[in-house]
Amino acid sequence: MSLPPSLGNRQAGAIDPKLLEILVCPLTKTTLEWRSDRQELISRSARLAYPVRDGIPIMLPDEARSLGDDE
Amino acid sequence: MAMPPEPPADPSATPARRPGFAPDAGSAIPRVFDRALIARRRRTAIATAPAGTDFLVDRVAEEIADRLAPVARRFDTAVAIGGPTAAIARAVRDSGKAGRVFRADVFAAGPDEDLPADLVIDDEVPPFGPASVDLVVAGLTLQWVNDLPGTLIQIRRMLKPDGLFLATFVGGDSLSELRQAFLAAEAETTGGVSPRVAPFVEVRDLGGLLQRAGFALPVADQDRLTLRYATPFDLMRDLARMGAANPLAERRRSLTGPGLLRRAAEHYQAANGDADGRVRATMTLVSLSGWAPHESQQKPLKPGSAKMRLAEALKTTENPL
Repeated sequence: MSLPPSLGNRQAGAIDPKLLEILVCPLTKTTLEWRSDRQELISRSARLAYPVRDGIPIMLPDEARSLGDDE
Repeated sequence: MAMPPEPPADPSATPARRPGFAPDAGSAIPRVFDRALIARRRRTAIATAPAGTDFLVDRVAEEIADRLAPVARRFDTAVAIGGPTAAIARAVRDSGKAGRVFRADVFAAGPDEDLPADLVIDDEVPPFGPASVDLVVAGLTLQWVNDLPGTLIQIRRMLKPDGLFLATFVGGDSLSELRQAFLAAEAETTGGVSPRVAPFVEVRDLGGLLQRAGFALPVADQDRLTLRYATPFDLMRDLARMGAANPLAERRRSLTGPGLLRRAAEHYQAANGDADGRVRATMTLVSLSGWAPHESQQKPLKPGSAKMRLAEALKTTENPL
């Protein structure tokens, strides 16, 4: 998805820091870890990784990836 | 009444909820709505809906703008829960009452050049930290949550003290004409009935729900609209385009045959047709507002703290009991 250049907080690979500040895991309401290399928001307590697509966090438990044992 | 045997449940319709975390796991909350189905329909609606099918969300956005206008405070951080269009977030932004508005679309991000979605959420489990937001607005989404009290409690917790929550969604006797028409037609053609129109929350229940969720100064009211369509099929097509076709978990999984649809349309036309041949459909929008408690808010005085006699105020004489 291409976005107009005026939306500075939407460049690929970035999330608005203000949004990151208020986001938590929807299931456990605990803090999330932002992994920019994988474009994922990690919930340690729920063992889930929420995908971030085109800079938009998809905070749906049904679309989250279950963390592997070594993660 | 004898019910026809239920066809086997569609396995794809029951999402693999993770045990222990699902809001309905192990509790007695009935699963009325098939949320995975609603999510799929929302995505289809975004991909295929022609222009003009978003009139209801536009109406809800107007309602929210009207409710925000008289509020005498500014909100630093706002979350606008809605979708598939940006109408709700735009109403909050254009009110001038909010600093940063985050557009949170339910289940899928709808496109918008001017005000794109910031995140995608499931409004049954909003992903916001405790006391993190000053204003939460939910437009046309809460009619489909299975656990409205639980959702309201979660919204209450994400608000900062003196934060405001506004919501408008479908309730009351909405689509009662369609429910009646299907009941009558299905009883005739199959000898049984299956749920086809969602149950909606009554406005009289909402004030209590808000209070139980911990909101101060709770207000709930409703606005009853009458939509008019050329035929009942146009109403059904509009609902489908909005992604609002039958969302019930216990719905009949087999296809609805043309005979039943035609009979339902005949019942509909007979009971709700106007002189010009068009048909009426009731759409009741329920609205609620509540504040996260704060010491600056008005509240009742302690009993016995009055400084003036009631009898004086009423200019009458007090009769001892």
